[in-house]
Amino acid sequence: MEEERDEGGGEVISLIDRATNSTAAEVNPRLLKSIKSVVRSSDSEIELAVETLMEKMKKNHSQVRYLALLIINELFMRSKLFRSLLVVNFDHFLSLSIGFRRNLPLPAPPAIAVRLRSKAIEYLEKWNTSFGIHYRQIRLGFDYLKNTLHFQFPNLQQNAARLQQERREREIRSKEILLKKFETLRENLPSIKDEINSTLEEIGECLDILHTNEDDFIPTGLADDEEVEEFRCSDLQQIRIESLKESERVHESSDNKVICDALRELYKLLVTKHLFSVQEWISVLLRVEPSDTRFRDSTLKEFIDLQNHLKAVRKRCEQSGCALTNTTNYEEEDFWEEGKIQVFGAKSSNAPARPNEDLASTSTVNEEKNIDPRQNEASNVSERLDGEGDDSDSNSVRRKLLSEAPVMNWGSSLDNWSSNRDVLANQRGLELAGHWGRVDYDAVIPAAKIAELNVQATVYKEEHVDIQPCLAPLRKGGLCQRRDLKVCPFHGPIIPRDAEGNPINQVPSTDKGTTKLETEVVRQLAEQAVKNVRERDRWETKKRINDRKSLNRAKLAKVREHNEAVLREAAIASTSHSAFVGEDWEGEKNRQSRAKRAKVCEHDEAVLRQSTSRSQFAGEDRDRENQRVSFVKEKKQTLASMLRKKVTTKDRLAQRLLNTRATDATVRQLTIGEDAKYREAYPNQW
Amino acid sequence: MVLEPLRAGTIGICISRLSLQGAVMFLDLSIKPVDLTEGRYLLSGASDGSAAVYDVQCATRYEGNGLVAKHECIFIVDKRHEQGHQYAVSSAIWYPIDTGLFITGSFDQCVNVWDTNSTRVVVNFKMPGKVYRTAMSSVAGSHMLIATGTEDVQVRLCDIASGAFTHTLSGHRDGVMTVEWSNSSEWVLVTGGCDGAIRFWDIRRAGCFLVLDQSRSQLGRRPPILEHLPSKGSTSKSLLAGQSSINKARTPQKKTANGNGAKRVPSLYRTPSQTKGSMGQRLHPGLLSSRDRATAHYGAVTGLKVTGDGMYLLSAGSDSRLRLWDIESGCNTLVNYEVTRLETRKPIQLANTQDSSLVFVPCMTTIKAFDVWSGQTSKTLRGHYEYVNCCWFSSLDQELYTGSNDRQILVWSPPKSVLHETDERGNNEQVSASDQDCWSD
Repeated sequence: MEEERDEGGGEVISLIDRATNSTAAEVNPRLLKSIKSVVRSSDSEIELAVETLMEKMKKNHSQVRYLALLIINELFMRSKLFRSLLVVNFDHFLSLSIGFRRNLPLPAPPAIAVRLRSKAIEYLEKWNTSFGIHYRQIRLGFDYLKNTLHFQFPNLQQNAARLQQERREREIRSKEILLKKFETLRENLPSIKDEINSTLEEIGECLDILHTNEDDFIPTGLADDEEVEEFRCSDLQQIRIESLKESERVHESSDNKVICDALRELYKLLVTKHLFSVQEWISVLLRVEPSDTRFRDSTLKEFIDLQNHLKAVRKRCEQSGCALTNTTNYEEEDFWEEGKIQVFGAKSSNAPARPNEDLASTSTVNEEKNIDPRQNEASNVSERLDGEGDDSDSNSVRRKLLSEAPVMNWGSSLDNWSSNRDVLANQRGLELAGHWGRVDYDAVIPAAKIAELNVQATVYKEEHVDIQPCLAPLRKGGLCQRRDLKVCPFHGPIIPRDAEGNPINQVPSTDKGTTKLETEVVRQLAEQAVKNVRERDRWETKKRINDRKSLNRAKLAKVREHNEAVLREAAIASTSHSAFVGEDWEGEKNRQSRAKRAKVCEHDEAVLRQSTSRSQFAGEDRDRENQRVSFVKEKKQTLASMLRKKVTTKDRLAQRLLNTRATDATVRQLTIGEDAKYREAYPNQW
Repeated sequence: MVLEPLRAGTIGICISRLSLQGAVMFLDLSIKPVDLTEGRYLLSGASDGSAAVYDVQCATRYEGNGLVAKHECIFIVDKRHEQGHQYAVSSAIWYPIDTGLFITGSFDQCVNVWDTNSTRVVVNFKMPGKVYRTAMSSVAGSHMLIATGTEDVQVRLCDIASGAFTHTLSGHRDGVMTVEWSNSSEWVLVTGGCDGAIRFWDIRRAGCFLVLDQSRSQLGRRPPILEHLPSKGSTSKSLLAGQSSINKARTPQKKTANGNGAKRVPSLYRTPSQTKGSMGQRLHPGLLSSRDRATAHYGAVTGLKVTGDGMYLLSAGSDSRLRLWDIESGCNTLVNYEVTRLETRKPIQLANTQDSSLVFVPCMTTIKAFDVWSGQTSKTLRGHYEYVNCCWFSSLDQELYTGSNDRQILVWSPPKSVLHETDERGNNEQVSASDQDCWSD
């Protein structure tokens, strides 16, 4: 603490910088620890930390924000000052960490942004539960996100409470069950004990009988052994002892076979049932919490004794004869094997399986198995195969059969595989549970119909075809990854290509010839096209030049005309100012201007004519040039020019003259009228 | 009366409306300083077409050791009600005399007058457009008119007594966002439109008599008379005149209320023919003012609030400005409020303290309290998570109620530290223990 205080402010900034500058999913714990200790040292450091962390939260990268959020959480849960400082701008903080404002979404790596949001929501909930009362911003923010925006909160507290509740309920239930068991035990204790004891007695008797049978000849051997014992060396002695033990064991023979069988059965009963049940009861007694513990303790003691006793008896049984244990083991294995094969056999056989009976038969007497009349050929085979002795043989045959057997998909049709029996039916359809009620033996669905109904449906599986990508080289680098069946719309037919995208021609002889031909044709066509285009271009440029020339001429003519007009007007202006005074001024001027205008018009006309004729000439020139280019165009041109020529200059001149005369006259009349009106309107101005 | 600085950071009471789907658009508390209604029931209108009434003094439940109070509404009138509004309720006000009636204006172009006890509509006014705001005069003694600002350019006055429009005030060039009655005269109505104009109307005369112009300004407000009377010169004189005229104006109003039909136009109403006499046309003065295109704000006027003494007017505009106007001179006082941004598309509701020292302005997600005379921010209240639309200050409880788009009404009250220390010391300690430093390492 002392050291940290000595270090100047700003330590926390660099620490936070380092802590948030990583790609890990967690903050480096050592850095976090040092941040905590530094921050704890002084209030100013906390203020600095809040500032820097908020700066980090504003960074445009979700990872930085995420790490900053983790640090904030650590400090938030610890420091009051930190809380009160952070809470001031809490809505901003929330929008940066949860991104609930549409205009302020979370920044770039989307996966981390999702993690950031979920973490922030989780933290907000946590903070709200622990500090919501004191900080209204947290409370309101939580409320707002939950009730208005309907964010999904993890609901940690409630979830934990619910889990707790569930566990408690489960415990109560299990306790009840235990108690119930305990009660039943209390009731049935004598009978249980009797049962076990009777079994034990039977076993003891069996063993006694066996041993008494053996006892006849064993003692002599024993005596011999004892006499010579000291003369043997140690390993020989070992062998002797083993053989002695071996001799002690009961050897199954035809005369004690029945007893052995009984013993086996009893032993099985003992191991599978009694020992198991005793263990079960012990565990129940250990777990149960009854009202009177005395009974429990006493029974527990009894049961433990019983268990020990049972174990001792089991040991004795096992020691008594190797055949016993071995066969039981075998039997147990057979038990499993049997079940499996039975199912397999049932699948491939006509008759329905009867596993229960089979199990019973196997569990009771091994030899009886083959006598079972229900068993059909296949199951017989299987049973014969797994009989004692030829294990390897049975496995190989079975494997062979298995390899040959077709694999069928599971389905309801397997229920009555190739059974030729009729099926009973009632008004609801198949009589599946006929043994529960009356059965109408006349209502029967014929086997053929059933077979029809059970036709196995197989689903056609499409072969997966791997469509080759086009792989033509792209201009921007890389290969075209389009997968089309035959023709890529951009790169033509799909052909095998090497790594760079160059086509590998597998059949060069024929293909190349055709392609060559084609390319030749294409080249020629292209040349032709280029030629055509060039010609057209040339022609067009010529035309454009001609047009420009004629335009220039027309422009010049216009300019000239305009110049003349300006000059004329200037002349008129000068004359009107100087020459005319008095009443006739207006009319005179009009007249004059009219006359002049007529003249000018004539002049204009002439100029125009000149220009048009020139342009016609130009047109003819152009025509001549065009003749070389296209025949049709020329024809059109000439037609146009002919049409244009129809109005001769003479005609037009005559027309113009007529017009000007007429207008002149009318204009004069009109102006006179105007003058009169004017005089009337403003008499004093005259 | 001096308002304690609002330290809402400690414990704000939160009225939450859990059933609401819409934003709170308007608040009104049944506050009437003259009358005896207790200022207890808060009326709110929301954008889902509902209006609800809350009891602000008795919370329905407390959370967190009684530190957080939640208020449920006493009753709510929403779309499921057969006479309820179809669209957002933009304005909900109490009848100024008591809580027997309340008035709601809605975007479905209706103004409804409700009987509180039976929650039935008693009078219904159909408007030409969306209703933005309704207002009733709190000082009125001789009329019961509801002024309504709508999308339409005309301001209509609805008479509850007859169920008809008595006035149609035309002069605005665009919809009218806010309407406000004067606090000093029952005949004076202030309206602010989307065209940026603030107009003053004397409802006994044709046309408006004053249009506020933002370019006409005076430097500084005139200080309160009682304190600075001797030290000030000409301005205080004119103020004195104005003040006295207002005082004079008040007496005849009372007389008219009593049935004495004496008519005196207070000098408060400066006739436009005097101020703009140069027009030289023989137009009716009321119509003349309609030609006045002066604007008080660039853009729409979104909020208006007359100070308690009726001498000043605060206006908020979509240009994010808050302006303080001297009503007497019609001048902008050039107080610079430190407003950053204001809501531009919706009308906002301002609130001020009774002595006009603070004004509360919804600034986007926060509420800012400004000193009225200096314009400085005295408090920024953060608590809402979306735009705040309205606020209402209760001078009785010294509490501020704010409504926002996040469907909550928050109550901001001054700190109750004394009460906590005396009353529930043990409880308090236990609670505060959970908010301590907890350094495990």
